[in-house]
Formats: sequence, C-alpha cells, structure tokens
Amino acid sequence: MNAVRPRWLRACVSEFAVLATLVAAPVLLARIGFSVDLLTRVLNWGLIGLGFDILFGLTGLLSFGQAAFFGVGGFVAAYLLVSGTLASVWLALAAGTVAAGLCGVVVGWLAVRRIGIYFTMITLAFGQMAYFIENSPLSKYTGGENGLPGVPVPVLGLGPNAVRIGAGLPMYLLFATIFFVGYVLARRIVGSPVGAVLRAIRQNTGRVAMLGHNVAAYKLAAFVIAALYAGLAGGLLGSFQSYMPPDAFSLETSGQLVVQTIVGGAGTLIGPLVGAAVWLWLRDNLQLVPGLAALWKLVLGIAFIVLVIGLRRGICGEIIHALNERRNRAAANAAAARTAVIEAAGGVAAIAPARQAVDVTLPLPPAATGTCEIALEARSLSRYYGGLKAVDGVSFKVRRGAIHAVIGPNGAGKSTLFKMLLDEVSPSSGEVLLFGDRLTGAGVSRAAQRGIAKSNQLNQLFPNLSLRENLRVAALARCRGPLRLDLWRAADSLPEVERQVDAILALLDLAPRADTPVHILAYGEKRRLEIGMALATSPNVLLLDEPLAGMSPLERAATCGFIRDIARGRTIVIVEHDLDAIFGLAERITVLYEGRLLADGAPDEIRRNAAVQDAYLGGLHADEPA
Amino acid sequence: MEFDRRQLLLGGAGAAAGLLLPGVGAMAQSPASIGTFPDGVLADSVFVGLTIPLTGVFSGDGGDLKLGYQLAIDQINAGSDVARSWGLKGKGVLGRQIRYKVSDTEGKPNLDVQSATQFIQRDRAIMLAGSVSSASAIALEELGSREKVLYMVGIAGSNDITGKNCQRYGFRSQQNAYMAAKALAPVVAKALGNNLKAAFLVPDYTYGHSVYASFAEFSAQQGWQQVAKEVVPLGTTDYSSALLNIANSGADVFVNIAFGGDAIASTKQAEQFGVLSRMKLVVPNLSSFQDKELGAELMQGVYGSCDFWWTLQDRYPLAKTFVEGFVAANKYYPRWGAHIGYMQTYLWALTVERANTFHPVELIKAMENSKAAPYDTTIGKVYFRAEDHQMVRPIPILRGKPPAAMKNPEDFYDIVDVVDGESVMNPPELFGCKLGPYS
Amino acid sequence: MPSWPALVSQAFNGLALGSLLALVSSGLTIILGTLGVLNFAHGALFAVGAYAAFVMLQYTSSFVLALVAGCGVMLLLGILLERLIVRLFYDRPDEDQILVTYGIGIVLVECLRAAFGGNAQRVAVPSWGRGATKLGFLIYPTYRLQLIAIIAMLLLGLYLVLYRTAMGLVVRAGIENPLMVGILGINIRRAFLVVFAIGVVAVGLAGMLYAPVVAVTPDMGANFMAQSFVVIVLGGLGSFSGAVVGGLIAGEIISLTSAFNSSYSDVMLYALMALLLVLRPQGLFGSEGRV
Repeated sequence: MNAVRPRWLRACVSEFAVLATLVAAPVLLARIGFSVDLLTRVLNWGLIGLGFDILFGLTGLLSFGQAAFFGVGGFVAAYLLVSGTLASVWLALAAGTVAAGLCGVVVGWLAVRRIGIYFTMITLAFGQMAYFIENSPLSKYTGGENGLPGVPVPVLGLGPNAVRIGAGLPMYLLFATIFFVGYVLARRIVGSPVGAVLRAIRQNTGRVAMLGHNVAAYKLAAFVIAALYAGLAGGLLGSFQSYMPPDAFSLETSGQLVVQTIVGGAGTLIGPLVGAAVWLWLRDNLQLVPGLAALWKLVLGIAFIVLVIGLRRGICGEIIHALNERRNRAAANAAAARTAVIEAAGGVAAIAPARQAVDVTLPLPPAATGTCEIALEARSLSRYYGGLKAVDGVSFKVRRGAIHAVIGPNGAGKSTLFKMLLDEVSPSSGEVLLFGDRLTGAGVSRAAQRGIAKSNQLNQLFPNLSLRENLRVAALARCRGPLRLDLWRAADSLPEVERQVDAILALLDLAPRADTPVHILAYGEKRRLEIGMALATSPNVLLLDEPLAGMSPLERAATCGFIRDIARGRTIVIVEHDLDAIFGLAERITVLYEGRLLADGAPDEIRRNAAVQDAYLGGLHADEPA
Repeated sequence: MEFDRRQLLLGGAGAAAGLLLPGVGAMAQSPASIGTFPDGVLADSVFVGLTIPLTGVFSGDGGDLKLGYQLAIDQINAGSDVARSWGLKGKGVLGRQIRYKVSDTEGKPNLDVQSATQFIQRDRAIMLAGSVSSASAIALEELGSREKVLYMVGIAGSNDITGKNCQRYGFRSQQNAYMAAKALAPVVAKALGNNLKAAFLVPDYTYGHSVYASFAEFSAQQGWQQVAKEVVPLGTTDYSSALLNIANSGADVFVNIAFGGDAIASTKQAEQFGVLSRMKLVVPNLSSFQDKELGAELMQGVYGSCDFWWTLQDRYPLAKTFVEGFVAANKYYPRWGAHIGYMQTYLWALTVERANTFHPVELIKAMENSKAAPYDTTIGKVYFRAEDHQMVRPIPILRGKPPAAMKNPEDFYDIVDVVDGESVMNPPELFGCKLGPYS
Repeated sequence: MPSWPALVSQAFNGLALGSLLALVSSGLTIILGTLGVLNFAHGALFAVGAYAAFVMLQYTSSFVLALVAGCGVMLLLGILLERLIVRLFYDRPDEDQILVTYGIGIVLVECLRAAFGGNAQRVAVPSWGRGATKLGFLIYPTYRLQLIAIIAMLLLGLYLVLYRTAMGLVVRAGIENPLMVGILGINIRRAFLVVFAIGVVAVGLAGMLYAPVVAVTPDMGANFMAQSFVVIVLGGLGSFSGAVVGGLIAGEIISLTSAFNSSYSDVMLYALMALLLVLRPQGLFGSEGRV
C-alpha cells in the first residue's frame, strides 16, 4: 500500500499527543489556575480512569465500587511503609497493586456473573463493604477514620546518592511517566484481540459467547485490569501526599470516578483524565469567585447537569466523534448510498458466478477426522416451561456431511430445539450428542469451540463495528481458544485469523464493504454476514435458523446456492419456512408439530406424508365440522 | 530577616502587659529559609490559608469557625482598638496585612491536604489553619511538619493530636478529651452525686473511644459505675437499639459522647425513649450548635463542657470585645468554633510580634516557651506546653438553663465552673507524643 | 449473647425501622421498575421532604396539615423534575440517567444548605405523639408506634393505587414492558410522570415523618438512600411488594445485628446484598429472567 506515513507512526499519533500534552501541561495550564499539585492529582484520577475506561467504556460494565481497589492498593502500600515492614516505596507500590488485583479477582469472579444494573449493584455492595470494614474492624491497620499519615515519598537510586522525589515538579514527572506508560499499555490492550472481544461484548454479549469466547473470563480480565490500575493509583496517592485518606474507600470516590469518566467521555481512555481536569479545576476555581463561598457546589451541580444533558458522549467523545464524522463522512455517505442501491435492486449485488468453495484454514476439532457417522444426535430432547411443553421427547440423527432440515408450523418448537442443539438452552430432559460425545451441559461457548455454530433468525451482529471487525471477533474464537490473554499484540496481527476473515469475505462476496460499519449495511448483506459469522468459527456442524427470512426471491436463490457451496465438507441443519427451498436443498427432513416429532425421512416421503399435510393445513379432519 | 526602622521603633516602644519576650536566642541555628519563609512574607502582606468544611456534615461548625477567623483577621488588618487591646501594634501583623482564602474541604481529610498544599505551593501561605474533625487535623499537622509551615489546629478534641500524632509544627488550643473529662467529672459528681450508675453512648471512631476512655476513668474515680456501654457506628441515624439497652440498664446518668449531627439525633431519640426523663444527661464535649438545634427544653439541666461559651464575656474583657464584635458582624452569639478561630489567629499574630519575625522555627520556639510569658486572651492567661503543644487553659463547665431562665434567645447555659487548666493536664508522655525536628 | 428481652425489643425496633425503609424504598423501586431510572437523588428528596415539613410547621401547628402541604410541595417538585430533566433521559443509556439524578441530588442538597444553613433544624414530635408507651416489659416512643401504623396505611394506599386502579395497571404493565404499553396506544409518558411523582411524594413523606426523630440537616438522606439500595435488591428490582417485605427484613437485620455488635451491622447489610445479587439476583419477588 502507499501509505504516506509509516503505519506505526499513524497508529501512535495519540500517544505522541498525550506525551506532548503531559510535557506542556505544567507550563501552559499554570496560567489558567492549574498548579502542579492539582495536575498531579488529575493524573492520579486519570490513572484510575484508564483501567475504569477499559471496564466501562470498552466492555460496558459500570462499576460503582472502584474505590474499594483504590483503597486496598493505597492502604496496603501505606501500611507496609508506615509500619516499617518495607523500606522501598516501589516495592510497597507493587505490593499494593498486586493486593488490589487479587481483590479484583475475588470480587470480579462474583460480579461478572451478572449484567447491567445487577452488576452495578454488586460492585456498589462490595465497595460499601470494603468501606465499612476499613472504617471499623480493620481500623488498627488502616487508622480508621483518621487514615494513615506519614507515608514516605519514593526514592530513586540507592544509597547516599538516592534522590527523593519531593513535592511539586518531581512528583508531577513521576506521575506523568507512570500515566504515560499506563496509557500506552491501555492502548495496546484496547487494540489487542482481548480488546476486540471486550468491545464486542459490549455490543452483543450473547453473540460473543455463541462464537466460542469465554465471556465471563474476559469480563473478569477487564475487571482485574481496572482493579490493578486503581490499586496502583491508590498507592501513588498515599506517597504523593504522605497521607492515605480514609475517604479513599467511600462511595463518593467511586461516584466521582464515574462522573469524571462520563463527563470526559467514556471509551476514549483519556476521557477520565479530561473529566478529572474539568471537575477538579471547577472545584478549585469556583470557590475563588467572590460571593460564591459555600454556593460553589450548587453551581458545580448545575453545570454538571447541563453538561450531562448536552454532551451525549462526553467532552472527548464529542470531539472524537466530530473528527471522525469529518474524516469518514465521504466514506460513510458512499456506503449508505450503496446500501440504498442494493436494497432497491432487490438485495442482490452482482455475484460472481464461478465461485470456488473456499476451504477454511483453521484447524478442525479432532472429531471431524474421526469415524463417527452421526454428526449430531438428539435423544429424547424435551423442554418444558411450566406447564407448556415446547419440545417433547424429540429424537433424531443428523448424518455427517448431510444437509438436514427441520420444519413445522409456527409454535412447533423449532427455535427451542435449535437452542438445545447448541446448548444455548438446557433441556428439561434428554441430551444432545456431537460426534458421539455429549454436548448438553457444556454451555454455548464450549459448544462453539467443539465445532458447532449457529446463524440466528434475528441478526446477532456487532452493529458499530465494521464488517471485517465482526468477522475477526468470530475467527479469533477458534484460533485462540475460549480465553487467551494476549494483551499486547494488535488485534489484526494473527495471520491465520486474517486469512480466515479474507476467505469469508470473499465467500460472502462482501469484500468491497469490508470496512463499513455493520449498521449501515443492507438487510440482505446483514443476513449473509450472519451466516458468515457462524462460518468464521470453522464449524463442523452449522445450524442455520431461517437463513432465508426476509429475503427477496432473487436473494433466496442466491443464498440457496451459497448454502450448497458451504455444505461441502460440513454438516448443515436448517430450520426454514420456505418449503420449496427446503425440498430443493435438504437431503433429509424432520418435521415437528406442537413440540413432538411428527415425521423424519427423505424429502419425497415427507411431501407425501398425510400427517404432515394435515399439520400444515390446520389439521382439518373428515369427522369435524368445517 | 528584614529589619526596617519601623520595626525597630515598634519593638523599642514596648508592648503593654510586658508581652515582649527576650530574644529567643540561637537565631543563628535556624536556617535562613525554610518552608514558605521568607518567600511568603511580602513587603506589605502575608498569606494565611484556611481549610474549612463549608459543605458536608460539618458545615454548621465550619461556618462558625470561618466567621471567627474572619473577625480576627478583619480586626487585625484594620488595627482596630480590639487588636490594640490584645497587644498588637499598628495595622496588620508586623505591618503586613493578612490575605487569606477559605477552601471548602467538605469535611474530607483528603481535601484538607489538597487545599493546604495548594495554599503552600500557589499562595506561599505562611500559616495554615482550620479543619473540623480530628482526622483532618492529624493530616494537616503532618503536612505542616513536612512542608515546614505552621499549622494552628481548628476544632479537634482527640487526645492523639497532642498525643501519638503530635507534630512539631502543630499547636492546639482546644482542651483534649483527657482534660475535659478530668475537669468535668468532679464538677458533675458534686452536682449529681457520687456512686451513680452511668450508661455510655460511644460513637465508634478514635475520637469517640478517646473521650470515652478519659471520661470513664475520671468518673470512676468519683465512684461512678458503668452499667451500659453502647458503641454505635459513626453517622447512625437510628439509635433505637442502643437506647433500648440504655433505657433498660437502670442507669442514673446518660453520658452521650456522640458529636455533631449524631448528638442531635441521639439526644432527640433519647428523649423519645424516655431516657432523659429518668436519667440526667452529661455531654463531655458539647457540640457547637447543639443548644439551638435541640432547644432549651431538652438541654435544660444537661452538664457538659466545651471550649468557650459567650457568657464568659463577664469574666474576661477580651471575651467581651470578641462577643460584641461577633454579634455586631454576624447577628448571632459565637459558638466555640468561632472562638477557636478568633483566638488562634490572635495568638499567632501576638507570637509573630513577640518574636519579631515570621520565621516558623522562631515562632514555634516562642510558643513552646510561652509558659514563661503567658498570653492574655479571651479566656484569661494561657500558654502552650512545650512537650506536646497542647494549650494549658481554663475549661468552662456548663449546665443547660431551663427555658424560663433564658435572658435572650441564645442564653442556653449557665457557667457552673471554670476549671483551672494546669490542674487537669495529662502527663505529656501519656499519649505517646514525640515531637519531630524543627527543620 | 444478649438476653431474650433485649432481642425481642430489637426485633420490635426492627419493625419500626423497617417500615420506614419500606416507604423510602417503595418509591425508589417503582421509579426503577417503570422508568428504568436508578434515582440517585432519592436521598436528597428525603431531605427535601423533611425541610418541607419544617417550613410548613412554621405556618401551622397541625402536624397533619403540614404533612399534606408538604406532600403538595413534593408533588410539585416531582412533576417539575420529571418534566424538565428526567424526561430527556428515557432514551439515553442507564449511566446517563444515573448521572443526571446524581447531579440533581447535589443541586437539591446544596439548595437546602444555601436556604437553611448547615445546622440541624428543629422539628418537634407532634403533640399526639409525645411520650412513651409501655408494651409489656418494653417501653417504646409513642410516635414510633404511630409511625408504624401511619406508614402501613400509606403503603396500603399505595398498594391500592398500584393494584386496584386503571392507572396502577398501566404502571405495572409499564414495569413489565414499557414498549408494549406504548404500542397499545396508552400514553406511557403520562404514566411515567405519575410514577415519578408518586415515588418522589413517597420518599418525601418518609422524610417528613422521620424529621422529628433525626437531625434535620441537608445531608440527612445519604444514609437512607444507601440502605434503600440494599432493600430494593433484597425485594427484587421493580417489585413494590418486594420493597415492603425487603424493607422490613433489612430493618430487622440492622436491629438484630446491632444487638450483638453494631460495628458490623453495615457490613452485614451489604454482604447480604452482594450475596443475593450473586445467588438470587431477582430477590424475593422480582421476576426471573429479567437478570
């Protein structure tokens, strides 16, 4: 490619910008009322914010308990120093950070089982517990409501030439250095495969699990990262002001972090820093306005409400959004125009007629090379919801390499059956076997890792990511396993993953649209992508839930051809309503009616089966009045 | 050190009441520049930083404290008659006007430290003052000693401040819990009786435990027997559990150590539970506005002690000028928070003029040696003890007046006794005070 | 180990405390359930209620009249807040809603401080509530006993509104599925307004009723709000009956643990909250599947 500047330079623009700001800040910002001490405090908040933004801005988990880790890191470090157990401040900081990380593992393990407001409430509860424990039962170590005074400052070097990092500029430099390093690390994390998975989790958690990632483990990783940053910041605070305050643990501290992050812009990494700068500056300088005195907090509250109402994305978020809009406006308009064209033309872009079935390049799980003839088997599967029997004792077998269809009128239980085949839903009784091994109970992520994937009836995509990024998240799962903490490499640096993504793009004939955000795509393209996502995980068994839903006749024909292509070397199970398509595609058909198996056999048999006809036509019998 | 003719002249003219100290000596040993000295001493002004909670749970006391500082600073800057009657000369302190800023700390020690650091770095504060709560005071003492800036403690009654957390650069005027208890117990025992049963309500933080330990010790010496001790978390709003136990304990006296908003809630609820109708109430450390917030009906007959009550104006002329000036400026009678702010500021100014310098080490030494030449203040003659920087001062013992006896809407207490400070001081090493170095 | 009489008295005390928590939390939970807004201004509104009672009592010596007038004030405040600010946030993500209510809380508290100062204001126990009543071996403040009865009536009234009126039906449906209610052509926005106003009045009433018992300061509501978070988790987010039962249980927990060791009662409460969220997040009465 003919990049004007080398890629690494472009990628590092923000790092350079942050570095430049950190260097210039004490000089430039001093004029508008930022003392060096204030800037150092802002950096401290920014450091906590880096971790918090990975947890909240990137992964979408709002935690109101970060103060607990801030406090743990701070008090462990302070106590070790004040009690004389450790002499080196650096070691104490490390100890504090590790302690905070351990607490993060424990709390996070409990907290990430829940989502949304429940997650927030758990973090709030643990934060409060930590606060009350610090205040009273452990007050011998923490100084209770007095805090721990007398924390020494760090010392650079050894022996008689050691340099004490005193207050003022030296401290600022220390904090700036640590913040910058933290920022670079955070950027690496955000750009890594782990970051890609976390970003996807925010947009559609269920889909990420279905692709084979261990969602809980990734969330826990994000949680621990946030705890580590907070713990380090806590230790630094104690050393910085030679005093570890008790209100480090309070709910207000957690709340202030959230406020600053959202005001500054969540998801931008520097949002919390900017938010802290604004909040602390306002706090200091509003009080200096003559006549305001105790009313400064009222003015701050009003300003804050106005900010929240006006800025949907926070300060940095709005700036970045505006910049992106301008940069990508041409591309976005072109993409939207193309979507309109496609939808007007009935949803089918020109499809190259001679398309080779491109084989997947990622390794298949062992079972595929085994001799088991039956790819997927359902044994007496049942699912009851209270008194309703959604699926009742259904058994059938799917031969390896076959295209097997499941049909039935509405309410027959097809979707529920499908969910059980994938272990998305646990059966009330019965089990599913994948290549002879029991699949039921393994969970949807492990099922995907074992080689069974589903394309959903309603598109489950990541709307704000580009097509390529969507597929990448899918391909990353099988390549790296359910959990891999490769935090330092770039997300697009795994060659086999990129090959897989390119192959799928070519297969779906969506290569020209690869960098378009998915929410701009036409409906038909999204449906193709939905199948592509499942394909990208290199499944041996592919479940297609109503792949033709909502498509125009032209699109249907194209998709059927597409399905035949990908069926080579794979087992496919389809649920569909379009009986013409099914009879053309499937080698074997299972019919469900009111949760029970009605018929199971070759298409011709099913077509002639009286019971099936009855079921579809409403079940009118000769002896009933019309 | 600047010498100008005016200073020499003023120094030579001598001060009333012989407040001039002989030269403290050993000036050569003090470093020429330390902390914010001499940068913070401008030709015509110096800066004093005040860290006071104006919002948050301590905002009531904080407001009062602030007004005390402001009154003193205004009087000193104007060189008014009041300032002259304290012994200051001319306008300002050593001819310099006092500039000041008040930073709202919301009652959080962290913000105290943050604001104080700003005052030192940005404004070159030559003295720090303020804070409501022992936690803030401890943090600020530490900061002052590290930065070598003098800190005059605001409202803080814990023993630790001149005990295990004492610092060379911090001075406290309020009586500590030990002194208050030792002064109060005999007076209360004489009034209510010896060999009584006492029930204690103790808020669960160092200050609360500190006051409890001191008062329990001294009341036991008067023959009082503890029949109940209820420890409640700080900030509790519902005291029913504790009060039920206290009500059933058979005590004659209810000793309520809760402070601030907790004192209000617990006393109100104690009345509702019938505790006050069966027991006498003793409050070892009265909260500033407890009288007005609870009302005279609840506070009548209540025994307690605090730093200052405005009817002391009948005993001390400087108290009279203080109260008059305060009422004129703020339209209410000052509580002891305002008194601390007012008196500490004047004490500092007096020490500066005595030592003839703003040099913190000189000032510290002057205050440590003040026993030889006590200050004349709103509460009579006082001095700072060299070993732990605790002020040796009289302690008023108060009793709530019945509503009918009140001569004006704020005449809540009778002053039953003013106990001489010297007799109730704790041995300096009792609370483990080790003052740090001068520089 | 505390004695039997002590435990019984604490258990009884838990009832009194719990009824207050139930009232505070019921407002919080219906706002959360219907509007999906976690109202961080709830504590501030509690304080506003207490001050409203204080102000109204300057004009009338009848406690009941002051209560009614105070309710009027809270109703007006609730309507204003919803129409002017909260309404703008229904389509915005959860965290924005939390933030704006947090901001409203700060503004309300500081307005109170600016208007009344930081010292506690005196609200006396009404004349018919003075004194203590003897219940067997237990002596209990009369006013607190009356509070249990008053709050029970208020909660009953709230229950009737929610479960026996058409508007209540709309509100309950809105808790289940606001989108659907809108699709059915019902003015869900008006229901939101009603719900928010009811929630504000409920917590304001709690503040008014409790003003004679605690110190009336601008910051008085913070503690209650934190505890009511625990209660709504305990009872199930969005469930009115859950808030009532949860409040009583939380009150009992606080009282009974303080019989043993009061410094742990807060820790116990939050530990229970965390435990519930991990094991049974729908609480007592919340619906499964909303997790």
